[in-house]
Amino acid sequence: MSESEYVTLESSDGFQFVIHREVAMLSGTVKNMLSSPGHFTESTEGVIQFRDIKAIILEKVCKYWYYKARHLNSVTEIPHFEIEPEYALETLMAADFLDSKRKNCCPVCHL
Amino acid sequence: MSRRNRGNAGTTYVNNVRGPTSALTSFLNERGIRRANPAPAPPVATPPENQDDNEDDDDDEPTSPPNHAAASSSSSSTPAPASSSRPTRTARLIRGRNLPARSTRASQSNEADGVDDDSDSGDSDDDDDSDSDNKNLIPIVISTSTARAVRATRSRVTAVAASSSSSVAVASSSNASSSTAKGKAAASKKRPRKKDASDDSDDEDFHDITGHISRSNFSHKGRMPQGSNKIVFCSRCRARFTIKAGTTPAVDEDDGGLLCPTCAGTGSPGPSKNALPKAKPVKRARRKAQKAEIECHIPSLQDLCIRKIANSIEDVEAFGDISDLSLDKICKIICRNRSLNADTLQLFLDSRHSELILYDCTDITAVGLQSIAQFCPNLRSLKLKLCGRITNEVMDYYTEHLTKLTSLMLIGPILILEHTYIKLFETVGERFEKFELKGSSRFSLKAIKALCDNCPNIIHLRLGDCNLMDDEWLEPIAGLTKLKSLRIRNPEPDKLTTPAVVKLIQAVGSGLEELELKGCNGLTDEVLVDAIRPSCVRVERLNLSGCEELTTEGVETLLKDWSVNPGLTYINLENCVMLKDEALMALTKHSGDTLEELNVSGMDELTKDALQTLTRCVNLMELDASWVRAMDDDIMEQLVEAAPRLAKVTVWGDHRLTECCSSRKGLKIVGREGDYVDLRFI
Repeated sequence: MSESEYVTLESSDGFQFVIHREVAMLSGTVKNMLSSPGHFTESTEGVIQFRDIKAIILEKVCKYWYYKARHLNSVTEIPHFEIEPEYALETLMAADFLDSKRKNCCPVCHL
Repeated sequence: MSRRNRGNAGTTYVNNVRGPTSALTSFLNERGIRRANPAPAPPVATPPENQDDNEDDDDDEPTSPPNHAAASSSSSSTPAPASSSRPTRTARLIRGRNLPARSTRASQSNEADGVDDDSDSGDSDDDDDSDSDNKNLIPIVISTSTARAVRATRSRVTAVAASSSSSVAVASSSNASSSTAKGKAAASKKRPRKKDASDDSDDEDFHDITGHISRSNFSHKGRMPQGSNKIVFCSRCRARFTIKAGTTPAVDEDDGGLLCPTCAGTGSPGPSKNALPKAKPVKRARRKAQKAEIECHIPSLQDLCIRKIANSIEDVEAFGDISDLSLDKICKIICRNRSLNADTLQLFLDSRHSELILYDCTDITAVGLQSIAQFCPNLRSLKLKLCGRITNEVMDYYTEHLTKLTSLMLIGPILILEHTYIKLFETVGERFEKFELKGSSRFSLKAIKALCDNCPNIIHLRLGDCNLMDDEWLEPIAGLTKLKSLRIRNPEPDKLTTPAVVKLIQAVGSGLEELELKGCNGLTDEVLVDAIRPSCVRVERLNLSGCEELTTEGVETLLKDWSVNPGLTYINLENCVMLKDEALMALTKHSGDTLEELNVSGMDELTKDALQTLTRCVNLMELDASWVRAMDDDIMEQLVEAAPRLAKVTVWGDHRLTECCSSRKGLKIVGREGDYVDLRFI
């Protein structure tokens, strides 16, 4: 099974975000989805559908992952990551879900 | 930044000196500002900020050229701009600082001049020097009084700047030219003064003090590492000092160790003049690097969102489906911002919750507190901190409506009376497992008896700052055989005696996993030897902080071959001031493998030998070694190497620990002396 460099994240309102696999792996939940031993659509095709996350929130989350990946080993000062107050709550909910550390998180259900 | 710096510098150097005459003189001398010698100030005494100040003064620049022009036109001499610029700027720099001290000086010296005009000329050259320097400043301060005075003074400033070689000549000329100004200014005199001579002798005293090496040598800036400077400790007096880049320190003939300048008797280290300008950029860079080190930890997306939400908590209508952890974090932040009130409280109330912690209930009224029971009837655990407004009625309401409550924690319920507690305990009865009470002076013996009689299943009992607590309380507590965690904190002095505590621990000790006797300062070694050693076989967390009477022998006897106890994970010996090396050695020998948190703060008797045994604690995660003065870079390095899980070390007052000691990512060192500058950035 060859792994593509990119994965596709699909939001609840149908937007697709094609991002680097390693960046997406920063999220515990996405990592579990992509690397689960079973043959789920997510791990074989590299497409994940988030039926609870709107595009604008998912975009923010993707931006954060890139922000984190970029500054992960940085020794210089890190710029502030801006979140609009009106989306903060929804972003928090998405972040709570996506940052799950549970190893055996079922990749299909729980959405 | 520039403004603040200037303010700081002013405060540091001038404000605290109260001598009316000598303050400015000493200040000027310290800065090396002399009329006779316009060369740059001696580098040792001048902190790097000085330059910054000069540069930052530029915003004053537009006002000064006209003054220059007026000055040069009124005085006959026309100074070359290049030569005049530095001293004038220095004068202005001083003018910007510390008005009160100077104006006092101004009025006084003017008065003196008005009364006895000849006194100045009779002074020695040296005093005259500084004195006339002061006078240069005087009329600037009181410039509002007369325009003429201002002009006369400024002319003198310029004149002083121009003639840098002949001090006496300038002094006399300035005396002559400023007589009119003095006459005007003398109108504002408040008390007659005829003690110029005595003041001058004061000045001389201050010369000695400020000219002394120690002052310039031990300023904090002097100790900051700059460039390749090194911080070391004197082998003789153990004082900390800096080896400047490019200099070699004195060496002790006896043992070959390095000597500080004071011990070596070499006087001020006196770095070369060109070292000063370099020092600043280097320091900046280091500061920046440290700041980056602090900030290089990337916050999680949740934390970023939580901070945002907490800032605009007033606009949130409902939280929706966020995790309990996030909810708790939001609650913590808004409690810290003191914005938890009856309105924002509603966000945290939901019938699904089984647990609620409110960290600051100060702004919540009794009605608001009552609504907790209305909206969260399924609560099993309720913690209310700073709940001074909770009333007996509300508590009774909780008793009736929170039918699943098993755990209650109240901090500061000052209004609740004994009978309310008794009613609560009678109602909750056997389902009650956890009770924590802090800061209540109305919780009484009757109440504790009611608790112990009605609630035999109590597992956690924590009583802190209860004024009425005494030996009699311990008897009913001894009946709580299911106790796993017992915390008794800060009883009134001498209310708890050793025999009663021994009896209590012997009764309940076998089940205890956690025992805290914080602040029970009357307890003696019998508690360790007769109670804890035989009884507390399961105890993992032991807090004996503030038990000042405990001795090294007691701790040794407790821990020596204490094989029935598999090892402690947490021990707090804060302020057990009598404990010496052997106590810590016994501890690391007994619990070296298991220890995760250790607090030896305030155990000043410890030496390097004992601290070195901390390397046995390979699982150590948190260490508080504040005020343990033997702690130094060497031990820290060994510790960092030995304990890979170490995450936080607190070292307040450990002056031998420098900012040079090695650290690693993820390890937080709190309270290092050299880091104090950076605390402002956090």
